[in-house]
Amino acid sequence: MSAALHDLQRWMHQALITPDAVDPAIANALLPGHRLIASECLAIYQRSYILRLRMCLGEQFPATRHALGAPLFAAFADEYLRACPPSSHSLYDLGERFPTWLTETRPDREAPEREDWIDFMVDLAHYERELFRLFDAPGFEDGPWPTTSSDDRTLVLQPCLRLASYQFPVARYYQDVRADRSPAPPTGAPCHLVILRRNYETVTYPVSALHFRFLSTLQQTQNIEAALADIAQWSRRPLNDVTASWTADVRAAWIEAGFFARAQ
Amino acid sequence: MPAANPAGDPALGLGVGLRNVHFEHILRNWPAVDWFEAISENFIDSGGRPRMVLRRIAERYPIVLHGVSLSIGSTDPLNVRYLRRLKRLADEIGARWVSDHLCWTGVLGLNSHDLLPLPLNEAVLEHVAARVRQVQDILERPLVLENPSTYVRFRASTWDEPAFLRALCEATNCRLLLDVNNVYVSCFNAGSDPLAYLDAFPFERVVQLHLAGHQHCGTHIVDTHDRAVSAQVWELFRIAWQRTSGASTLLEWDGNVPPFQTLHNEVLHARAVIGGASKDSLATVAAVDAEAINSAREAASTPIDFLLPAVMSQRTWSPA
Repeated sequence: MSAALHDLQRWMHQALITPDAVDPAIANALLPGHRLIASECLAIYQRSYILRLRMCLGEQFPATRHALGAPLFAAFADEYLRACPPSSHSLYDLGERFPTWLTETRPDREAPEREDWIDFMVDLAHYERELFRLFDAPGFEDGPWPTTSSDDRTLVLQPCLRLASYQFPVARYYQDVRADRSPAPPTGAPCHLVILRRNYETVTYPVSALHFRFLSTLQQTQNIEAALADIAQWSRRPLNDVTASWTADVRAAWIEAGFFARAQ
Repeated sequence: MPAANPAGDPALGLGVGLRNVHFEHILRNWPAVDWFEAISENFIDSGGRPRMVLRRIAERYPIVLHGVSLSIGSTDPLNVRYLRRLKRLADEIGARWVSDHLCWTGVLGLNSHDLLPLPLNEAVLEHVAARVRQVQDILERPLVLENPSTYVRFRASTWDEPAFLRALCEATNCRLLLDVNNVYVSCFNAGSDPLAYLDAFPFERVVQLHLAGHQHCGTHIVDTHDRAVSAQVWELFRIAWQRTSGASTLLEWDGNVPPFQTLHNEVLHARAVIGGASKDSLATVAAVDAEAINSAREAASTPIDFLLPAVMSQRTWSPA
């Protein structure tokens, strides 16, 4: 490996990430262009670097961008990209750390009280990341899928399904942005969501706290009977009642919606 | 179109870059395109719809894989996991060849997602040649490398790009993808002659040509891939196409991506060019005078947001 090449690459890459603190060594390594001086030539790369990555991050968080407004989103994006420059060969990973970074750098992190709008932004960014990830995650399109006549013992949560809880109604907000309804930031209202992909379509289902607990237990145990027993104990209701409700009220709908895979 | 170019690879005709926004159109209409070029990174890790769509398209059209993250010139170790996944994808869809750029994209474990230029000298040739051999061993096929568009020149360069690529081909038996728009952009920015560049280029190694639009900013040109091909680039293409005896030709359009038919029509314009339209007539034919100095704000070079799927349009919310 060429040490000179390594040094040059290190300088040039750093000049992209921190264009306001360019090592003089990189300028000395460059010749002027036909009509531009060397630093102006380098600036073409510097401008494009942040422009294209900022644009890509916005594509991955369209609702968060809407909520923040384009200028403020750009300011957050620039800070994020400076703090967490991309490392993956895939642009799909560009926003992987963005929700966590928002959490860790929130402006009120040391204030005695948290601001609602920041909580909402963090929630929304987490939700959008989950959608983006599920879109291209290893899926279950080839099945096997259960039917309503499948035995409970063969039902397991399908692998392309996530359970998530938020303090704000992020799915409705996201849907309103998608429909160009220019929604205002919502007030807090805790929600539990099932996010899944089936037939290459990602769908979000709001569920109750009880259903969310049932599904969370099922995710851990992959055992319907155990999850029903947990719900009976938690809700202090007879197991027979809980089982009857499962059978009559939710089972078929959840199978139809693609919550379950059929265990082999 | 000839059956094969001097490098012995099959000539595929006139193709277009496969873009997410055109998936539905292609699956619905199966347009009469000769072939598609798919961006490798869009598909190698895909477990969702993009890979399914690519598999379906590959059943009907020749596909070439074109990468943007191989980073053949980086001083970081090659990403072997990436290469193995790339090979698996190439095998899965029967890719006619696999290409990337003579560039580096990152260092110290970071990725700029840009195609950054290399100084061209003996030490760099040795470095890149060793990595090309390693890549070819893993991919079990020749690597095809593209000349990048460049905006800087290095003091450490002692070779010009055609000479460097010729030596690299001789050292590794790799093949070349000649991007005639990049030739025009790089030569303008460096103040050198694009015709002299073509005169020195090892055409016998070329398996593919690229066409694209650019933004002329007066003092420099940016490789924006966001508009029609300029008359000057069409003229370079005519010369290059003749010298390759008809290499597979592909149009890249990555920013402000137009409807599929517009894209297809633009690449089909190559037929008129190949048919011998004169330079003057070409200038007339070009409906969009891409050489007009564009006072609009400088666009990003080689845009990449087209790599991302429009996830928002493909999910639903079921409030029931």
